[in-house]
Amino acid sequence: MTDTLRRPYVATPDLAEPVISMVDVGMTYPNGKVALVDVNVSIPEGDFVFLVGPSGAGKSTFIRLLIREQLPTSGRVVVAGRDLSTMRRSQVPTLRRRIGIVFQDFRLLPAKTVYENVAFALEVTGATGAEIRKRVPRLLNLVGLHEHDDHLPAQLSGGEQQRTAIARALVHDPAMLIADEPTGNLDPVTSWDLIQLLIQINAMGTTVLMATHNQEIVNAMRRRVLALEHGTLVRDESGAAYEREY
Amino acid sequence: MPLVRFVAFSVVRAWQGFWRNAMMSLAATSTVVLMLVLLSGLFIVLAGLNSGLQYIESKVGVTARLVDNLQQDRIDALVVDIRALPGVAEVVYCSPDCALERLKEFYREQGQTLDLGGAEITLYASVEIALTDPNFASGVASSLEGRQEIERIITRQADYDKLLGIIGYVRTVGIIALGLVGLTVLFMIVNMIRIAVYSRSGEIEIMRLVGASDSFIRWPFILEGILCGVIGAVVTIILVAIAWEPIKPIMVRVFQMPTAVSTEFLAVLSALILGVGLGVGALGSWISVRANLSSAA
Repeated sequence: MTDTLRRPYVATPDLAEPVISMVDVGMTYPNGKVALVDVNVSIPEGDFVFLVGPSGAGKSTFIRLLIREQLPTSGRVVVAGRDLSTMRRSQVPTLRRRIGIVFQDFRLLPAKTVYENVAFALEVTGATGAEIRKRVPRLLNLVGLHEHDDHLPAQLSGGEQQRTAIARALVHDPAMLIADEPTGNLDPVTSWDLIQLLIQINAMGTTVLMATHNQEIVNAMRRRVLALEHGTLVRDESGAAYEREY
Repeated sequence: MPLVRFVAFSVVRAWQGFWRNAMMSLAATSTVVLMLVLLSGLFIVLAGLNSGLQYIESKVGVTARLVDNLQQDRIDALVVDIRALPGVAEVVYCSPDCALERLKEFYREQGQTLDLGGAEITLYASVEIALTDPNFASGVASSLEGRQEIERIITRQADYDKLLGIIGYVRTVGIIALGLVGLTVLFMIVNMIRIAVYSRSGEIEIMRLVGASDSFIRWPFILEGILCGVIGAVVTIILVAIAWEPIKPIMVRVFQMPTAVSTEFLAVLSALILGVGLGVGALGSWISVRANLSSAA
């Protein structure tokens, strides 16, 4: 990790400033579907958190609220010190530069090379050519793709595509990285490689929130686990396993 | 500098977008050209008719043909009376000799000589009344009716009214036709941008997620529509410039357009074409972006 990407490591997350705070958050869609019920969560800066739960438990809604793709029907969501309910629409892009996000399906632009995919995220936010030339190689070096920078996504393995997506998510040096099922399309060995990368990024001080169904990874990592069921936060446990152990 | 980067980014993306959906873009641009050619045609026809109208306006007056052998004192009295009528700008008496001289002049202009075969002719004397406004013609004519000094009253009011009617008709039909073509152009541009938005929905989603501002997302699409309008306008200007050379003498001869006006006319028409092309492109893409990017951006 380069100096520009390095954050102070928070050894005792509980004492740190929360980068994510949800207070009595409820979300009911216009069709009446209840997605989240009275969720209270505080995630300090530098934490590594797994978000688990069956399909339809509310994980995607949880993530959409964090990036202010939706607003809660009740309660408050505070990200990086900003109350998202009172945030003006024009301020949303600034918020999203503080949050990196990766998805199961990578969401790379197929006609652009690895370098261009990462550079695109800087280009569309008004970065200068010099900034792009400085930051993109560093990020590709971090994710181990500096030798593949001229490859198109179709020429990469699934793991390499996800690494490209992670490099893109980190271009703005975000306070938090949200990974929505990042290993969902990867084989076990590649999945572990990716987790190692996420651990490395977290060790540099970036808060990581990873939504996953991968029990093996959650059980092996023994990090903080948030478990959702039917929109309710049923478990918030540090050093935990995928399933309740008591 | 951020503004320069933003503009450069938007222009490059608009250019790429225009050629990415080349078929749709060219179809929309062709429709813009069609609309602007129609607009130019209508503008040229209306300008010609207006020139003709102005020419006739300048000629619209009332001519009072006098009875034969009218005494000079009665002529003078008539002239004084006419000068007192509302709307009369100038009154000129033309004697029989003056009328004959004008007839000879007319023949000379046609390259001929008036040959009376040695016969003596006497033309009517007349009083020519210039008006401050052609609309006074009927009032002046009716005031002179019944005067014994006058044999016949001639006005060109009917010609003027007829031309005014034609201009009104052409203008109405032209505006309706232009409105319909304009709506078609808007529809084409709205669809072009909608397709562009759909074809780049993946990019747009990524732009939103990485924190691109609304301007960075919207303006390339708006510029793409403007580009379509401007390219259409430039093509039309070239076509009109080519067609103008054979049209120009017609405007001067048939419609009596002054030469100085006809020289400036192409510049005025080009500015109009460019303005309308740009405006339609911007309006169409703005409507489309509003409708298709409101939830996405």
